[in-house]
Amino acid sequence: MNLTELMIELVLMPFVAFVIGLGMVLMMRKIAARLQRRVGPPFFQPLYDIVKLYAKRTQTSHGMVHDIGIVMAVGGYVAAETLLPMPGMNGIADKGGLITLMYLMMVPSLGMALGVGQCANPNGSIGIGRALTAMLAYDVPFVIVVFGVAWHFGSTNLVSMIEIQQAGGISTWGITQMPLLALAGLFTLHGMLGKQPFEVYIAPAEIATGPMVEMSGKHMGGLFVMQSFQLYTAAALYVTLFLGGGENWLFFIVKCFVVLAVPVSLAYLFPRYRTEDMVRLMWKWPVLVGLVGLAFVMR
Amino acid sequence: MSLNPLDTMFLLAGLNLLAMLLIGHWRGAGWLATLFYGAQLLTLFQFDPSQAIQHSAFGIQNSTLTLHWQFDALAWLFAVISVAAALFASWFGAGEWLRKYTGSHRLLHSALAGNVLAMLLLLASDDLLTLFIGWEATSWAGFLLMALAGGSGQILARDAALKYLVYAIAGAMALLGAVVVLFQAGHSFGYMQAQASFAIMSAPLLWGMALLFLFGFGAKLALLPLHLWQAPAYSETPAPGAMFLGAIVGRMGLFALAVVLAKLIGISKLEALALPFTFLSAQDLIAWIAVLTIILPTYTALKQNDARYLLAWHGIGQGGYMLLGLVLGTALGSAGGLLHMINYAATQATLLMAVFAVMHRVGHTDLNNLGGLVARMPLTFLALLLGIISLAGLPPMSGFVSKWMIYTALLQDGRPLLFLASVIGTLGTILSVYKLIHNLFLGQLRVEHEKIDEAPWSMLIPMLTCATFAFVTGAAPGLVLGWVAAAQDALGLPVLAYTLGGVSSLRASLDMPWVVGVLFAGFGVGAILFYGIGGKTQRINQLDNYAGGHFLTADMRYHYSDNFYAGLMHLIGDWYRGSFHWLEQSIASSVGLAAAAANGWYRAASPGFYLLAASTLMLAWVLL
Repeated sequence: MNLTELMIELVLMPFVAFVIGLGMVLMMRKIAARLQRRVGPPFFQPLYDIVKLYAKRTQTSHGMVHDIGIVMAVGGYVAAETLLPMPGMNGIADKGGLITLMYLMMVPSLGMALGVGQCANPNGSIGIGRALTAMLAYDVPFVIVVFGVAWHFGSTNLVSMIEIQQAGGISTWGITQMPLLALAGLFTLHGMLGKQPFEVYIAPAEIATGPMVEMSGKHMGGLFVMQSFQLYTAAALYVTLFLGGGENWLFFIVKCFVVLAVPVSLAYLFPRYRTEDMVRLMWKWPVLVGLVGLAFVMR
Repeated sequence: MSLNPLDTMFLLAGLNLLAMLLIGHWRGAGWLATLFYGAQLLTLFQFDPSQAIQHSAFGIQNSTLTLHWQFDALAWLFAVISVAAALFASWFGAGEWLRKYTGSHRLLHSALAGNVLAMLLLLASDDLLTLFIGWEATSWAGFLLMALAGGSGQILARDAALKYLVYAIAGAMALLGAVVVLFQAGHSFGYMQAQASFAIMSAPLLWGMALLFLFGFGAKLALLPLHLWQAPAYSETPAPGAMFLGAIVGRMGLFALAVVLAKLIGISKLEALALPFTFLSAQDLIAWIAVLTIILPTYTALKQNDARYLLAWHGIGQGGYMLLGLVLGTALGSAGGLLHMINYAATQATLLMAVFAVMHRVGHTDLNNLGGLVARMPLTFLALLLGIISLAGLPPMSGFVSKWMIYTALLQDGRPLLFLASVIGTLGTILSVYKLIHNLFLGQLRVEHEKIDEAPWSMLIPMLTCATFAFVTGAAPGLVLGWVAAAQDALGLPVLAYTLGGVSSLRASLDMPWVVGVLFAGFGVGAILFYGIGGKTQRINQLDNYAGGHFLTADMRYHYSDNFYAGLMHLIGDWYRGSFHWLEQSIASSVGLAAAAANGWYRAASPGFYLLAASTLMLAWVLL
């Protein structure tokens, strides 16, 4: 691949990820609405929300770090997308690999934490304390999944993993070869998305006690964009590790939406966990399932 | 007699010590010392030890014994970092900081210079005896720096320094015993003979030797369970001393362990050395000690309410990563361990300089009584931000690269539990460093800090230079991986095939210029979206805040700092039982009891007879 093609990919990959992510936000809201016997938002509502937030007349900033935090939150995901292969586009996936992607995905969280911290609102800081604790909770099983998958495929290169799965068909997909790790991964994905019952740190129902308390206008818009990227990244990573990646765009998008639909549908069936209960849960069942799965993979 | 660069370096180090002893009280002594360290660093870069080992012209010789010193690539690498750490520590403390320092300037400068000289002697050791001499010199010089502690934590720090001394003396005895055994086996102190002795040594004796060396050198590296002394001893020392101790002094233990475990015994030998009645080998045991050294101190750091202590506890944990990488023995793992030593030195120096700059301005580092300083000290904030990103091991800083190497090596070596444990350490670090930056620089600015200024340039320049180094070596790790590869070669370890961007192989690749490039491009996109689109932001005053619908005045304290991770502590708070303190105290009590009993017994019976018996036994042991 020449440099021009690579540059085009690097521009296209975040853009496509963002568009798919907007679709995922829509799907998430639609599922919630249907479960609650509502109609749900119109097709372009996620886009309208972003435009509305960016166009607000009152844009309050608590200082440079508040702004830069949002820039980091969005920018971190824009960068992460270039390491996550899409059908026909690998970007720089072979220059980083799974571990780099795992750590790059923490940059947006750090950005958001910095931005919230600058606001000097104690409720925001409490929310960040909870968010980072949640990260500690779901990253433990996630690490087990990462190790198992990388060991199984003999590489941390995501392009190689996709090639192996696509060459061998469904019988070589991660979910077939490593069902327990796939289950643990799905559990982790749920926690990572911060959806019910693990949404105590976002506190969407009582905004005044979560990290969003001082976020409005462009800051909130930036976090909305970040959420679109986050949904796509989590789903696409799962598809890459366990569902053979994307043979073509149709399959890839369908797989991504199906993967995301599972935690989103389950989300509204459970009450909320407290922070320590989330940690306890994440360190118990997904870790146990993951370790057993890992034992099978390494046997 | 012509001086080679190694001799010149020793001469400069000696002259520096002499000058500080003579004129250390002079106001410009700090700058003079900084120049000396700069000259030493330049001298170091005059020779390339990966091409040829540099021998010193001086030595000690008699009919039976020859002592001389030399630099190979490993020693050179540690020497570069040591002298650079001294340079930046001295620079930081040479200007405005020194004018406010109320302790003895002469003592401070001399202690720092003495440490550098002692460490160079240790690094240049060419056999077991010079290694032991260098080790002793380093231990006592380190104690000098720790004993300079002043202020409210003085008693705690001096107690810790004394505790360190006990560990150091006990460790020295262990080392002496090991050296004597090796001398008896090979009739020489030379490394070659030691290697040969280890090669044919029986398993029980080899276990004994490995444990003696591990105990002796591990205390300096603060390996579990020998770690309790380090945080208070390092934290309360004056700024330049604390920076130097925190950045590099503890790593002398890593150097010595690298020499003994990798060069003399050999990692493959450790791998084959089974721990009786278990499925573990000596390599596994050391790796698990390293991993526990990562996890427990890191989560102890999370509970700290003083910025200096928080960083000092992290220093202990990061040493675990270095040893873990080294003991894996693979090209990637050992390179990661050695690279982490370089990265961590720059990172910790940056962080400690930032924290001491805050202390210089506000008078303390209590995390529950600070906050909002970003508006007053933005450059110090920037340095601390880069430092915490590196310490947490996130891109684009150098800490990420070395940790990536260690993780990848663990993965390739099939060590899932070690991998998991080391990542748990990193996650704890992320939580801890966010608390650090939040409680210092974010949140509410206290009224009494409204008028404070940014740190002086004499502090900012070294601080930002170290941060820049950590960034540059993160974006292009190949710039320092050459040094690491040469050090691996000197240790007889497999040598890493590296690129400017990191590593390129079929199983795992890292090309940092690309990763950093896309990260900054991403930030660019984020900035365009934020600043280029939508309404104009209105920046409000930092003290203009409200919470829960109420306006908050500046004198009302609402900065959320204490018990920052309340939810997590609700779950794991009971796990902090102080078991190691209990263990240490019980050992101390037992030794005290035994000493009292022996004393009583000796005094009650015939002292002359026991003295004669003990002397005879000692003589017999040495001679036979």
